[in-house]
Amino acid sequence: MILALCLIFAAGLLVYVFAPGVVFERVTDKSRLAFLEERKQVVYENLRDLNFDYKAGKYPQEDYEPLRASLEAEAAEILAEIDALNVHPTAWSPSSL
Amino acid sequence: MPAFGSFALILALALSAYCFLAGSFALRQQAVGIPSDRLAETARRAGIATWIAVAAAAFALVWAALNNDFSVAYILHHTNRDLPTPYKFAALWSGQEGSLLFWALLLSSYGLVLRLRHKVDVKLTAYASTILAAVQIFFLLLLNFAATPFSMVRGAVPPDGNGLNPLLQYPEMVIHPPMLYLGYVGFAVPFAFALGALIMKYPGEKWIHITRRWTMVTWCFLTCGIFLGAHWAYSVLGWGGYWGWDPVENASVFPWLTGTAFLHSVMMQEKRGMLKTWNVWLIFCTFMLSILGTFLTRSGVVSSVHAFAQSSIGEWFIWFLGITLVVCCFFYIRNRDHLKSEHRLESLLSRESSFLFQNLVLLAACFALLWGTLFPVLSEWVQGHKITVGPPFFNRVNIPIAMFLLLLTGVGPLLAWRSTSWASLKRNFTIPVIAAVATAILLMVFGVRPWEDAAHFYSLMAISLCALVTATIVSEFVRGGRVISRHTGQNLLASMVTLTRRNTRRYGGYIVHFGIVVIVVGLAGAAFNQQKEQELGSGERMELGAYTVVCDSYSQDDTANYEMNYAVLNVFKNGNPLGQMFPARKFFKASQQPDTIVAIRSTPLEDLYIIYAGLNQDSNKPIIKVFINPLVSWIWAGVFVLIFGTVVAMIPPMAAAAVPQLQTVRAVSMPVPVRSDPVGAGD
Amino acid sequence: MRLRSIASTLATIFFAVVLLGASGDQARFTDLGHRMMCVCGCNQILLECNHVGCTYSDRMRQELTAAIQVGDNDDNILAAFVKEYGTTVIAAPGTHGFDRVAWIMPFAVFISGTVFAAIVIRNWKGGPRPPAAGGSGVSGGLGKYRDQARKETEL
Repeated sequence: MILALCLIFAAGLLVYVFAPGVVFERVTDKSRLAFLEERKQVVYENLRDLNFDYKAGKYPQEDYEPLRASLEAEAAEILAEIDALNVHPTAWSPSSL
Repeated sequence: MPAFGSFALILALALSAYCFLAGSFALRQQAVGIPSDRLAETARRAGIATWIAVAAAAFALVWAALNNDFSVAYILHHTNRDLPTPYKFAALWSGQEGSLLFWALLLSSYGLVLRLRHKVDVKLTAYASTILAAVQIFFLLLLNFAATPFSMVRGAVPPDGNGLNPLLQYPEMVIHPPMLYLGYVGFAVPFAFALGALIMKYPGEKWIHITRRWTMVTWCFLTCGIFLGAHWAYSVLGWGGYWGWDPVENASVFPWLTGTAFLHSVMMQEKRGMLKTWNVWLIFCTFMLSILGTFLTRSGVVSSVHAFAQSSIGEWFIWFLGITLVVCCFFYIRNRDHLKSEHRLESLLSRESSFLFQNLVLLAACFALLWGTLFPVLSEWVQGHKITVGPPFFNRVNIPIAMFLLLLTGVGPLLAWRSTSWASLKRNFTIPVIAAVATAILLMVFGVRPWEDAAHFYSLMAISLCALVTATIVSEFVRGGRVISRHTGQNLLASMVTLTRRNTRRYGGYIVHFGIVVIVVGLAGAAFNQQKEQELGSGERMELGAYTVVCDSYSQDDTANYEMNYAVLNVFKNGNPLGQMFPARKFFKASQQPDTIVAIRSTPLEDLYIIYAGLNQDSNKPIIKVFINPLVSWIWAGVFVLIFGTVVAMIPPMAAAAVPQLQTVRAVSMPVPVRSDPVGAGD
Repeated sequence: MRLRSIASTLATIFFAVVLLGASGDQARFTDLGHRMMCVCGCNQILLECNHVGCTYSDRMRQELTAAIQVGDNDDNILAAFVKEYGTTVIAAPGTHGFDRVAWIMPFAVFISGTVFAAIVIRNWKGGPRPPAAGGSGVSGGLGKYRDQARKETEL
């Protein structure tokens, strides 16, 4: 009885593991565009946080402006590369990471 | 059923070995450009099947417990026929073998969720799944060859089992170990993702985003586990306290401290692309400290009230730790270029440096704890004799470190990323500093004498710093709320709710900080504890602080299961009756174990904690020990705040579209990456 | 009966403590009792050990009471306990010899960690700026992107 139970159990699991059918996820590498989009979202979030804190009166203007300028410069570089890639999808080199 | 359990464990080992080997091979093939998606899928499914097999084994053990199958040695030693059903479930984690099986079950459950949600990032999840399978193999090897839960009793099967330790027959004790284990085991997931990201040179920091909720859930479980243990010690052990700096208690705090550091410093990587090496090592260390904690509990290397029976499985853990360290070092050295920082630190006065310093303090606390816990072993090795490193050491070393940490909790959120000017500092710190100083003055007016007593000094400092942190948190909420209020016309309270919903992580984090503040206030109350012990015959009274305790009666019960001595006490405060309390002491005959039934009257201001210490045979009167423990209930309340904050931080933030008044932003179109080339992946 | 004998011992201790009389002696008893461990293996501070059946803590408390009454100073009392019960009876490492390392090490590590972090930060600040991700091969004409970023992140 126990032996039969063990065999059925093992057979069930083996069928599940080795008969995956035809639908399964393909392992793909992340594209440069997807990577840049992630970066853009992070920098945008930083910018929004900074703007919000400034509006909340946390930082004086003389602190806020250089911080915003440097974050915007960072965002601009990313946006420019996204644009460049959208126009010429292969215009980048792997070493740029 | 035991045979089925044993078979399920062997099957689980085979499946996790397949998951690891096939998964590794598929990833290797993919790295050199050979498609092996089908093989990778079978590896993933083997990981899922491992969970089914381990769950079946755990079910078999619980089934044996529920059916009083004393032919299984583990069931014989940890249950008996009269044990209530919930405690029969708890038997799964009451002993060495069962708790290892439970550990394996939790690990495979985490793995199950990870493998089912693999679409979030198929490649990274495949790496994490393979690494988790390797960890799983270790635990399944232990269960199959070193600590087998289904060993059979030799000779005749006894009619009844030995029962569960009465101290463990307490509802919190049913939840405490699973919570701790969920915390310990859970760190394997961020560890697997971090190691996977390092091995594959994962481009970007999204792996942190993926693991953030895992880490927070794990951290929350560990926190709950630690405080449930403290509450159990307080309510059941009856020595008047909740934390004894026992090596096993300390062991649960090691990964908590490094995990807390990771939760903070990982923000620097996510937002600024900094501290990548640091973060990777923090999570490696957190996982290894979880394993070290388990090793300390189970090896008998350090003496502890919690320790399981000394066994050879300690060596297995040492090997596992060693192999883990070697693997981590190998991949770090090979791929360390991938961990270069993307930004430099621009100012010492910045959020970044406050995180860095906060990390340092947390690690110092972890080191002090680890050092104190292992020093007796070191001392024996160097001096030839063991010494004790007990509460006086830990209190003296860790309390100053904790003060620093509290200060940084208040300071950090007020500093800007990149750099903060002195003008900004002045603007943000004036109110919190005034709050701290005012609190200190108020406390001294009410009788705290920091110049007379170190305990008073630390207590005053802690509560003043708590005021600073609270002022910081309140100012963050109020300032943010005002901005929302200006835009939406909502009242301030509603605005603060909207604010929290818009940035759940940040404001949930502040709520967690507030929970810590509440807990620290509770801990600071210990400086003002009072206690008194007195023999108390019928009608006799004892006084402590504002309380008067009058003995109404006392008696003894002798049942088949235990002997019990108890007293009926009338309690008064400032002459006003508060009701009756019933401290008792049981002595279980079968297990020859004592059990204290503590009488606690808890209020937000203080706990009246009464223990039946014994009976004077000459006078036949009970000896009663009374404690006044101020602010203890704040500790338990703080834990609820902390859990609430963690849950808030885990909720996805309200979509930008839900607050159109604030978003003048046009929808950002997501470029279709179809024709773009891949990045990273081991290049 | 086991419980009875324990209770009896507890009572003896209780009276001994009461007989200490002077509040100074009581304070010394509390202080010294918190500087020692119960040696039964419970890992509890001597005065906090509440195990039913723990004959060690009862006896030790009696001995402590007696030693205070005799008028021994704290060091002598602790030394006598070490002689009788071994070095593990003292709840924290001493301040002599190798034991000092226990106290020094946590703070030494903290201080050296801070110094190390300070050096790293200084080097960081002084060093060349690492390349920011996303900046590859794109230069000049960033003005419109900067405006775009500002527009898309304005509150």
